Amino acid sequence: MDLLRTIADRLIGLSATVGSLGLLVLVGTILYDVIGSQFGRPLYGALDITIMSFVIVVFGGMALCDRRGGHISVDLLERRFPPLLNRIIDAGSAVLGAAIFVTLAWAVYESARISEMLNLSTNLLRLPKAWFQYALCTLALVTAFGMALRAVEIALTGRDVRRDETPSR
Amino acid sequence: MTGTATGLIGIAALMILLMLRIPVAFAMFLVGFLGISALNGMSSAFNLLASESFTLASSPELVVIPLFILMGNITAATGMSRQLYDAAYALVGSIRGGLASATIIGCGGFAALSGSSVASALTMGQVALDQMDRFKYSQRLSTGAVAAGGTLGILIPPSTGFVIYAILTEQSIGRLFLAGVLPGILLLTLFVLAITLICIIRPEFGPPGPRTSLPEKTLAFLKAVPILGVIALTIGGIYGGFFSPVEASAVGAGAVMLITLFRRTLTLRIFIEALRGSVVTTATVMLILIAAHMINPFLALSHIPTAVGLFIDGLGLGPMAVLSIILLIYLVLGTFLEGFAMLVLTLPIFFPIVTGMGIDPIWFGVLVVLTLEMGLISPPVGLNVFIVKSVAPKVPLSEIFLGVIPFWIMMLVTIIILMSFPQIALMLPNAMKN
Repeated sequence: MDLLRTIADRLIGLSATVGSLGLLVLVGTILYDVIGSQFGRPLYGALDITIMSFVIVVFGGMALCDRRGGHISVDLLERRFPPLLNRIIDAGSAVLGAAIFVTLAWAVYESARISEMLNLSTNLLRLPKAWFQYALCTLALVTAFGMALRAVEIALTGRDVRRDETPSR
Repeated sequence: MTGTATGLIGIAALMILLMLRIPVAFAMFLVGFLGISALNGMSSAFNLLASESFTLASSPELVVIPLFILMGNITAATGMSRQLYDAAYALVGSIRGGLASATIIGCGGFAALSGSSVASALTMGQVALDQMDRFKYSQRLSTGAVAAGGTLGILIPPSTGFVIYAILTEQSIGRLFLAGVLPGILLLTLFVLAITLICIIRPEFGPPGPRTSLPEKTLAFLKAVPILGVIALTIGGIYGGFFSPVEASAVGAGAVMLITLFRRTLTLRIFIEALRGSVVTTATVMLILIAAHMINPFLALSHIPTAVGLFIDGLGLGPMAVLSIILLIYLVLGTFLEGFAMLVLTLPIFFPIVTGMGIDPIWFGVLVVLTLEMGLISPPVGLNVFIVKSVAPKVPLSEIFLGVIPFWIMMLVTIIILMSFPQIALMLPNAMKN
């Protein structure tokens, strides 16, 4: 179990790093474009880079978001529930989250295959849309893996990694 | 089974899941996916999931979310918020209740750099509570001021609440941002007024702080000038038509990075954590938005919004009466539902009714966001109150809730003023260039 947790944390850390790099690209691209536009030299394909790096930013952070317990929930009744029910709910919601992200990855994967078949790409730089859809699938699967492992840990040991002091690598 | 019956079952299931503490986004995904499958077939739900998740995650106007969050995170982590507080303190700190007023003004300034109410309450709480303790402020007043001041983050632009409203209702983010400026200033002023009144009635609640000399005042302002410059650049840039909101967000984030690098307060560790924190918050918000785009088509297919619209039409009420009822519903929902979840779940039903009655969608957006703000300090789930509790663990929760009451009343007064004078919200967006 510890080995799986280490692998999961490294994958979660990696996807967050990819997302963070995407965010840096986002800032750099738009800034360059804004400043360039003032001098009559806007960045060619800035919108293409912006929207595709945004995909990486959004899904790059999903796994770490779950690891840090960042998903919003209504905890109005938590203290009134018995500990066992809270544990079942925690494990159940992690399973549900994993199922949602697997379904999402699968749906986007099917869509990516169509994009590949039709040769869909961005307007100016002709970046293949499928690349980013596959990236989305991969990042969604990492999130699902983290959630599934969290569900198993809660069920078997009662440990919920979201309450750990050191969130992630 | 009719579509409406399926829709009602879906809403009931959603409420049960939410009360069971299932994350809001997961609950909406599940109900939306199953609901669409029931009404339109599984392949329809599957295709919608694929298209909406990629379309939203590659939506150019939503890029403002991570960029403004990054700007706020860097500002908070590098201590720039402290300089805002110091400048506000130099201005009003030596009068009765001045430290609490400085907290509110500091929160307003920080709100103009960050779209998050939680970040505002947390950051200002860390800066201001100790200071107010030192000068023997009533804990009720100090914690109440921080919790309420933090809520300004959702009204004063850039605001995540406005971005979500804009996406759900297809309104202009720039116009909504500008519509929040004057109501935000009005609310800030009323908060300061509330503190002044409290300190007139109970002078022991907020003793005056030590006087600051003119050179001290000048120094505090000079230190805050770059931050005020960033605020002027971003919001002024949108107003003047120099930047789109997306460009303004990148320029703001870039400017904050430059300033903190120049001041040597931005270390690599802080920068990496600010980036990571920004992608995590972006993921939280975006997952809710994607889930909203699963549940909203389900609600539309179930014809529930139409049925509610017809019901309200049948009552024969005027626009102001309908608006009042809707805001009252938001106030009640805000006491137990998370703000974004409330927006996402209710807008598909209320927005067509409101626009159908000729109510300005930008004005409505400001009123709705203001009621969300009230939810942040309303018991039993007022998020900002719990944030303040985490910063001031020794103060009883009941004391903080008592402390926010005067501010909650001022929010209600702001809503009434805005309902009476819509131009307060609409003046700037209507004067906006481009």
